[in-house]
Amino acid sequence: METNYETIVIGGGVVGSGIAYHLSERYKEGVLVLDKKYPMSGTSGSTQAWVWVHNKTPSWYAEFSMYSAELYPYLSKKIGDVEYKRTGGLSPFFNESDREKAEKLAESYRKIGIKIKVLSREEVLEKEPYMNPEVAGATYSSIDGNVNPFRLIDMYMRAAKRNGVRYSTYNKVTEIKKHDGKYAVVSDNGAFECKNLILAGGTWSREIGDMLGVKIPVNQLRGQILVSEPLKPFLNFTISGLRQANNGEVLMGYSMEEAGFNRATTLDVIQETANMAVQYVPGLRKAKIVRAFSGIRAMPEDGFPILGKVPGHENLYVAATHSGVTLSPLIGTLITELIMDGETSIPIDRYSLSRFG
Amino acid sequence: MDKTTIICRCEEISCEEVEEVISNGGRTFDDVKRITRCGMGPCQAKICTSMVAEIIHQQTGLSLSEIPLPRMRMPLSPIKLETLATNSTSFSAVKSVLDDVEIEEGKVR
Repeated sequence: METNYETIVIGGGVVGSGIAYHLSERYKEGVLVLDKKYPMSGTSGSTQAWVWVHNKTPSWYAEFSMYSAELYPYLSKKIGDVEYKRTGGLSPFFNESDREKAEKLAESYRKIGIKIKVLSREEVLEKEPYMNPEVAGATYSSIDGNVNPFRLIDMYMRAAKRNGVRYSTYNKVTEIKKHDGKYAVVSDNGAFECKNLILAGGTWSREIGDMLGVKIPVNQLRGQILVSEPLKPFLNFTISGLRQANNGEVLMGYSMEEAGFNRATTLDVIQETANMAVQYVPGLRKAKIVRAFSGIRAMPEDGFPILGKVPGHENLYVAATHSGVTLSPLIGTLITELIMDGETSIPIDRYSLSRFG
Repeated sequence: MDKTTIICRCEEISCEEVEEVISNGGRTFDDVKRITRCGMGPCQAKICTSMVAEIIHQQTGLSLSEIPLPRMRMPLSPIKLETLATNSTSFSAVKSVLDDVEIEEGKVR
């Protein structure tokens, strides 16, 4: 296998493969993606995969997410059907007291061009007839949606490979050295050399950064999800908490636990998730659950993406974030611009690793 | 088994589809599952596990003992959601996205 590359991406998940694909649009040779297992064996393969914008905070982060969501229709034209659906997103609330917060959100975000409607109980039920009639209201935005994460990453990989990107999977990086202005990346299956190195290790970012003496403060945050049997199509929107996939199955869950890399599913959170699902959509009571799963989010210490050049290391880049599914088209685009043009079309200074000091 | 042999009856996945994942670098049942949906149906891989292992073995030369089993998860056999629900409406690990929205001095932070 070729050992010299212009650019190596460590990590082939939604972020790493997204970058590799976008890079391959600009230059056809010299990109290698290394993955310690097979892409999707980590976070990217265990997600509800909402493409979610409307109640991310603060507003500048919502705006950033919106730009990425806006790229999805074009992305699916380029790489193939990834089952992206801009369904619109509904976030229900069950206490009338939450309406004021919802109105404030809508008012603030109107200014940055994210249209949020605060719906009455009747309007929620008109949009989503199977929602619990006891709902008080919901925030709604047409920008939100969802995608099939497996199709997304498979299509990124296929399109990248068609454009000349090489993948080396089941190949763990064990050491990174810098010499003569180049990076030597030592892996289980041999050493590679490159000019540009992109760290897209997701939940493992901290360990990969350590190999270069760079602190990438990313922690793990577990989420657990329940999957139903395929049901007739009955949910119209991506509801923050559950969604119905193209094949009819309903994915339910929005939980957060600090459990390190432990990917167990636990009865207490499964029960809470079931309670949330029946509170939102009581008709799900009789639906059969075929599986529970859990995934580990890559959560930067302050909750925001870490993107861009690594200060003090020439030609070293990092992309580590949660919400990788929502953000991958934008992150791929921006990191490619940064490498090819030296600057990005929208500023990313705010997301620099340098903020952690 | 030939190319058109159905390996996963629940999701109707053929031998050819499984083989393609292995030739693209997949090595485990779960790699095959995520790309093809093989084993994601109602039986949750109870039928196809050994056939997929056999294909992986043939294509990669890995011995069967080196090929990990698919990850089994609760509830093993489909059960109704109401069986899992306890009808409580207080949540700790489960969040609402509106909870994440913080209002500071009358404005969204």
